[in-house]
Amino acid sequence: MPRDDRPERSERSERGGYRKYFAPKRKFCRFCQRDIRGIDYKAVEILKKYIPDRGKITPRRITGTCAFHQRKLALAVKRARLMALLPYVED
Amino acid sequence: MRQYETGFVLSPALSEEETTQFIQQMAEIVAQKKGRLVKQDIWGKRRLAFPIKRFQEGVYVFFTYDGGGDVSTELERRFKQSDAVIRFMTVLKDPRDLGRRKNRKKRAEEAAQAAAPAPAEAPAPAEVKEEK
Repeated sequence: MPRDDRPERSERSERGGYRKYFAPKRKFCRFCQRDIRGIDYKAVEILKKYIPDRGKITPRRITGTCAFHQRKLALAVKRARLMALLPYVED
Repeated sequence: MRQYETGFVLSPALSEEETTQFIQQMAEIVAQKKGRLVKQDIWGKRRLAFPIKRFQEGVYVFFTYDGGGDVSTELERRFKQSDAVIRFMTVLKDPRDLGRRKNRKKRAEEAAQAAAPAPAEAPAPAEVKEEK
């Protein structure tokens, strides 16, 4: 029985779910695109884009930010929170 | 010599005179400790993201200066003493944040120059990329 299942499974993984119909949109790091090195904690308008509704930092699997800039971004958000420029929690 | 940035939030209860006076005092301290004030940024009154000491707003001031570590320690000592400052933070400015950007630009220029004299080779790999 398990042997019969195997080919079916591989087919599923090849074209599973919505991928059959929608090609995933290519994400990219918006900081690399603009060739920005450091991220300033005072640039609240930029940081706000990465903390939706709840005030949490958006993971990079969603925003597509590269590892280097995600680290800088997280630090900047945390600094901005300390200075009361951004909220710790928001409901 | 290193570049630091000290930001502090002043209480909104102070009058405008007191605020400017306090900022001037702090600028003098930087000069006293042989620091060079590069930039003085005063944002003015701004709403806080959350209440601090029951204040809903504060006056944001940022100092950027070159100097030793003793400048920031002295500033922070003053901040702790006075009731006017409700929040402060000192950040070490990273010179690399500006440094590598030039390199990248240089690299891009070099790449552009390398691509220009050899136009015969360039189109072939470009086509392959498009197919992928």
